[in-house]
Amino acid sequence: MPRRPTADTGLAALADEDLMQLVRRGDSAAFEVIYERHSSAAYSLAYRMTGARGQAEDVVQEAFLSLWRSGARYDRARGSVRTWVLGIVHNRAIDSLRRAGVHDRRRAATDDDSIAERMEAPDRTDAEAARRGEAREVRRALLTLPAEQSRVIELAYFGGFTHSEIATMLGSPIGTIKGRMRLGLEKMRVQLGDAVEAPSA
Amino acid sequence: MICDRTLDAGSYVLHAMDDDEAAQYAAHVASCPDCTAAVADMQLVADTLPMAAPQLAPPPALKGRIMAVVEAEAQLLRAAGPEADRPPAPSPARRRRLWGLGDALRVRPLAAVGVACALLAAGLVGGAVLTGGGGDAVVRTVQASAPDGATARVELTDDGQAELVFDRMPQAPVGRVYQVWLKREGGDPQPTHTLFTVREDGRARVTVDESVEGIDQLLVTAEPGGGSQRPTRAPVVAADLS
Repeated sequence: MPRRPTADTGLAALADEDLMQLVRRGDSAAFEVIYERHSSAAYSLAYRMTGARGQAEDVVQEAFLSLWRSGARYDRARGSVRTWVLGIVHNRAIDSLRRAGVHDRRRAATDDDSIAERMEAPDRTDAEAARRGEAREVRRALLTLPAEQSRVIELAYFGGFTHSEIATMLGSPIGTIKGRMRLGLEKMRVQLGDAVEAPSA
Repeated sequence: MICDRTLDAGSYVLHAMDDDEAAQYAAHVASCPDCTAAVADMQLVADTLPMAAPQLAPPPALKGRIMAVVEAEAQLLRAAGPEADRPPAPSPARRRRLWGLGDALRVRPLAAVGVACALLAAGLVGGAVLTGGGGDAVVRTVQASAPDGATARVELTDDGQAELVFDRMPQAPVGRVYQVWLKREGGDPQPTHTLFTVREDGRARVTVDESVEGIDQLLVTAEPGGGSQRPTRAPVVAADLS
């Protein structure tokens, strides 16, 4: 559906950071390339968090329009464009979940890989294949954590629950929940090693 | 002695604090080297978590919807000229939340686009930006042909301004926006910069950005995102103004 195939514009060869310079000046074709590169990751995160297609689409739309309108806020010193995009998606999804209330979020906190994996996007480029390898490592690092730690991390990050809500849900003191989050993330850091030191562009 | 509030770093980067707690902790982090280091460490790990989600392809129609808005705003930005390239003035408003990635949330739209966004939210783009609120008396109303079930009329003022009023108008097809054309007798339809979308309920009020004095016919077509120089589709709305 793109009116101009992005491969023909030469923009496809540019790095994200350079494309963002153009987006900042209102270049819609540069924005389209950014969208092509990161919309799968954005949609996947939004779907994992909301568990509903319509809500996930709304979140992704809000996030990318916010990126388009506030591109000037991107600061390459603070990380990759991808991390920035996914940070916006995460915030929008949390807003959406917290508006929806606790009841709806219980559903989102339970994984439904069986449906999701069937819709999995094919690898089109080496970069995507490499990312898939990294994704496996992250999932493995999460899986090898003690269940009590991976559970609080998933409830917080993907479920959008606050530490107080999680404490109530699991019947543990807040300090314990915070400790598990911190410990779990520290272990993941060790497990992931270099992968987290040098985030890929 | 390490600051005992480093305990909160995990919860903070996972966004598991409510807004007040997050704001308080962010203020503390700013003046605490221990917590700054702990948050930076935890953030690196949190940034990898999106990859733990099963990877899905977004529906193609989503891209069409997003690009339609982006193209329409890019067009407005071009119409606004060099003014629009100026860096936006710092906004005094601070977003309530102060996450690690908080900067991404402090939206400071380019000046021209900011106006466009407000109008998009209201369901119309284009002409209204340029002509402003007028307030001239409507001297004539012309019913326009419209798709089945929809109604459209043109309200004309005595100084040649026209406003289109829609009800139950269907949404433009994915990836397209509506564009207004003006046609003089015997001539081809001329493009205007008036691009618009309609609200969910099919209502919209659209001020045409050019005078319709001497115009024979006003047309509306569904065009690709940024509008067209020549109509690419048959008109969905037509009004005889002569």
